[in-house]
Amino acid sequence: MEDLILRDYIVSAASQINAGNGTNGDNPTNLGVNDFSLVATSLDTNNAYKFMSGIEGMDRFGTGPVRSAYFMLSSTELQTDFDALAGSSPGGFLSQWNYPTNASALPSEYGSVFNIRILTSSEAPVARAASDMGNDIYYNTVLGKQAITHINQDGFSMNLIYRDPYYSGMLAQNATLAVKFAQAQAITQDTAIRNLLSTSAFILAV
Amino acid sequence: MTEYSRMAKGHYTVSGGSIGVSAPNAKVINLPFQPDYVEFINYTEASAGTDDAVPFAWWDKDMGQGFAVIQRSSGSGAMVSDVVEANGISSFSAGLALQFGARQQVVGATAANPIVFNVTAHGYSSGDVVMFQGLYQTQFTAGMPQIDGMMFTITVTDADHFSIPWNGNQSNYTALSASPTGAYVKKVLYPYLYFPGVAIISAITLNTPTGYTTVDTTSAHNFVVGQEVAFRIPPNWGTIELNSLPNNVVPGSPIYGYVVSVTDYNTFVVNIDSSSYTAFNSNQTVASVPGGDFPQVVAVGDVNTGGVQLSAGSQLYPPPQYRPIGNVLVNTINGPAIQGAFVNNTRQGFVIGVGFAKGDTTAFLGGAANDVIYWRAFSHDMNVV
Repeated sequence: MEDLILRDYIVSAASQINAGNGTNGDNPTNLGVNDFSLVATSLDTNNAYKFMSGIEGMDRFGTGPVRSAYFMLSSTELQTDFDALAGSSPGGFLSQWNYPTNASALPSEYGSVFNIRILTSSEAPVARAASDMGNDIYYNTVLGKQAITHINQDGFSMNLIYRDPYYSGMLAQNATLAVKFAQAQAITQDTAIRNLLSTSAFILAV
Repeated sequence: MTEYSRMAKGHYTVSGGSIGVSAPNAKVINLPFQPDYVEFINYTEASAGTDDAVPFAWWDKDMGQGFAVIQRSSGSGAMVSDVVEANGISSFSAGLALQFGARQQVVGATAANPIVFNVTAHGYSSGDVVMFQGLYQTQFTAGMPQIDGMMFTITVTDADHFSIPWNGNQSNYTALSASPTGAYVKKVLYPYLYFPGVAIISAITLNTPTGYTTVDTTSAHNFVVGQEVAFRIPPNWGTIELNSLPNNVVPGSPIYGYVVSVTDYNTFVVNIDSSSYTAFNSNQTVASVPGGDFPQVVAVGDVNTGGVQLSAGSQLYPPPQYRPIGNVLVNTINGPAIQGAFVNNTRQGFVIGVGFAKGDTTAFLGGAANDVIYWRAFSHDMNVV
């Protein structure tokens, strides 16, 4: 729940860039490799801090070096689009499995394009049927290290509350299950965060 | 009453609308629960007995969202039982962003300032926020797709028409007619869950007033005086000098402005002298649409606050407010907060909509301006079917 609130807060409060280097003719377009480069260049120009240092190349088949990078939070529904960027010239998508070492990869990390490492989640924000052509719009949040903060208020980090039905009445029928938390979100540096909006080049199979 | 049921009551004074002529503004009631049963009494109309008035109404969630059973005045002093089948009473839970209402076909739109849209029986209220898609009169060559994907606050003209704050009276905009294929509008259900948020800029008036800059947005900016703001103007929109970075005077130091006055929901003035800046250009070409970016303004700052001066009669700690249209201020459910700081406006409750009686289309559910309505809302433990 805390993550969903932070997600929606960023959707509402961070500025947006529409992807324009895809080929589907929509607005925004699907993701092209140059969209990744443009966003990373924008954050570099704004003196944003990268999250990860690079991974040096090693003498292992099928692997390639990884640049120092910002994080991008994306929907799992875009994974097909990322795969389709593999082999794009120059750069293109590098699967996390093709990193020289997976030691620094996060469990949700799907891969990288240029200076952006991609984390995917099924809970990433999507505006359904909202593009110029009526396709889903995906909010890919690209972050510098100093962009946002998340503050738990004093003594109110998340509590899971469970009250046994035994205590709720003589027939013991109703239990209570809830979470309680008090938190605040803030964009600490607006120039170090961008929502890269895109559509998909594919129709998701269900 | 069992222990998990919730009950609430209250009253309010209706804004807008006229008995037998026009619907009032939809009324949103925020509650700490989502009711499954609502009833209300329009005390003013129960007393007056005017023809077409609706003094009594009931709604159960099992009827369906937007329905209601009503008693309406028939003019001879007799009450008639009737129902509302759309835009009646409904519950809501505004917890997640990016939720939309059903899409509706755009019948036509004027290439004027403001643009007036024709959407048959749209059911919207002034202050609602909508988004468009596929506004092509001729696919990919003519129309007004430049505004697709932006959020607009609407002003309702009548049951089939509403206007948006955008200048369509420009060379690259073509009027829409005859229900173009793929041209749709849909309501953004919860546009201000977190505010102030990103606002799309519809116009920038340079050096107005002298030494300042006046900015218009497509939907409510929800800024307050003293707010620090940043701009993101794509190159083809003109006024790139307002952008945070790069700063040619002090490289690496972002340019920000402070809001010095708020004219209304979508207009404010910042303390940036724009007398030598490039003119803003919203006359974008249709060809620029694929991948085109929008001009934006966002709230920024380490201490993102404007503050509110205390004056005689003011509340000491007013809750954060948003301004959906005109200068109407709507309280959030939050407690004391610094005005201008980011606000979480997630909420739930019910809405008394702009619907009318099935048997009399001029009998509007929500009453008329200055009517006093007393309501009760319930959330029951058990629903036996």
